[in-house]
Amino acid sequence: MVDKVRDLKEVVSEIPAVGAEIALGGFAITRCPIAFACELIRQNKREMTLYEIIGSMDADLLVGAGAVKSLSYGGGSLDRFGRLGRINEAIENGTIDVKEYSGLGLTLRFTAGSMGIPFIPTKAMLGTEIIQNLLKAEPAVKVGQSPFDGESYVFLGALQPEYSVIHCQYADKKGNVVTEGPVWDLDLAKAGRKLIVTVEKIVSTEYIKRFPEKVIIPGVYTYAVVEVPYGAYPTSVYKCYDYDARALKLYARINNNQQDFDEYLSKYVLGTKDHNEFIEQMGGIARLNSIAADPVFGYAWGGKNDGDD
Amino acid sequence: MGTINYSTNELMAVTASRLLKDGQNIVVGLGLPQVATLLAQNTHAPNINIIYEIGVINPEAVDPGVGIADPRLWHRSEYFTSFIGTLGEILQKRLVDVGFLGGLQIDRHGNINSTLVRMGDGKIRHFTGSGGASDIATFSKNVYVIIKHERRKIVDTLDYLTTVGYLRGRETRRECGLPICESIKVITNLCVLGINPESKSLRVESIHPGISEKDIINNTGFEVKMIPGTKVTEQPTEEELQLLRERIDPAGMYIK
Repeated sequence: MVDKVRDLKEVVSEIPAVGAEIALGGFAITRCPIAFACELIRQNKREMTLYEIIGSMDADLLVGAGAVKSLSYGGGSLDRFGRLGRINEAIENGTIDVKEYSGLGLTLRFTAGSMGIPFIPTKAMLGTEIIQNLLKAEPAVKVGQSPFDGESYVFLGALQPEYSVIHCQYADKKGNVVTEGPVWDLDLAKAGRKLIVTVEKIVSTEYIKRFPEKVIIPGVYTYAVVEVPYGAYPTSVYKCYDYDARALKLYARINNNQQDFDEYLSKYVLGTKDHNEFIEQMGGIARLNSIAADPVFGYAWGGKNDGDD
Repeated sequence: MGTINYSTNELMAVTASRLLKDGQNIVVGLGLPQVATLLAQNTHAPNINIIYEIGVINPEAVDPGVGIADPRLWHRSEYFTSFIGTLGEILQKRLVDVGFLGGLQIDRHGNINSTLVRMGDGKIRHFTGSGGASDIATFSKNVYVIIKHERRKIVDTLDYLTTVGYLRGRETRRECGLPICESIKVITNLCVLGINPESKSLRVESIHPGISEKDIINNTGFEVKMIPGTKVTEQPTEEELQLLRERIDPAGMYIK
């Protein structure tokens, strides 16, 4: 049987040191591939071209670490915890090349990529400053007339990033991926030329065969499966663990200026050898126990997770 | 019956909720729009469908969340899907009756900025950006906006046009190739604004109790007109207030 299971450090080491093209599957503060992003930083990847439909903590970390040359995204935040301070400042100072889309606009580029068609038409973004800026900066975005009704459409060129990286609950070693909850990252995952899935747990193929309806991405798409328990921490993984409000409040504070961010990065990312040590620095098993998900509610129900402790 | 006491946010939530009709499909985010939608669901519109762009339909949350990425807001959903399932299919297929939005600024034609603010010194301050907001305003049949009524927020010229309303007014939205938008309503802490059908400019449709025309004019960044015989916004009922305070937002996160 094909075994796609890889080690995190080893799979990240094959990614080009300079100029890699990566699409990340996070959404603000949920299922963000944080362990993967931190490993990219530890291995000192540079000048990356990054895509993320809704900008999240993972992309903010990479921009703050100076690893990103170009970012395409559809806006983003840390929800009510705060702003993506490193991304916002990079835009304000023009230090990286940022292309902003609407959420649907960027998603449709992945949809075209996932289907192997050259482009996809939409009315999304017509008339906005978003499309005006993209027409100047992104050759893969055009406005034209439909040959069917003669009306104006935005034509979005297909995007098949070198790597798509998502974090999910389970996969088997063949790369059949099981996700609980909404799957905003589905098209982005299927579009990647190489799809890397970090998972909470590698499950048996017997599990997959008993519940094939739970598989959102079949192994035919998958390049590598990496088991990284708590790989999205401190963001949430539905039915596994909640976000850690204390850790997110800390991050939303230190990402407001580069000096505080740099101290955080040296202590928690560059100063730790892997994600286990990162979590230990954040409070370890006691912390993880406090955010364990209730199996019905899918988050730390009945618990106190406001970050005020 | 004595005087009914309520907060401005309660009035805004009740006013927005009364705009919703039973059976409508509504795309909504966190905050007052969500409170208004839940109030409608608990009163006159039990059969509305609630859609979160992240890929969640008809949840019944029992705990308050920090945003649509919070699994608290996904509890007891009827369907989980992708961005394409929500924005690409349900929304783009024009099945959404009402898109509920907020923003940093709105202009006289209902266009919205949620991206950036230009500072006096030529610098910019960048905020959230579009997410699904731009798409929601492009494809929803009706767009309702809840925003604070201040000159720097209800403006003559946006610092950035993230989200389309009626563009430059008159027929410019249609001429740009955009789908038809039947109405835009703006619910502020002072009044409710709607669209003049010819000029496609915002005008005052009802004024909240205790607010004067002068208050509105002084806090609006463009020359704003009242419709002839402008009404006073209807006050919340005891039943609506009770639902808001005891059932929908008992912690007072949004309605205080």
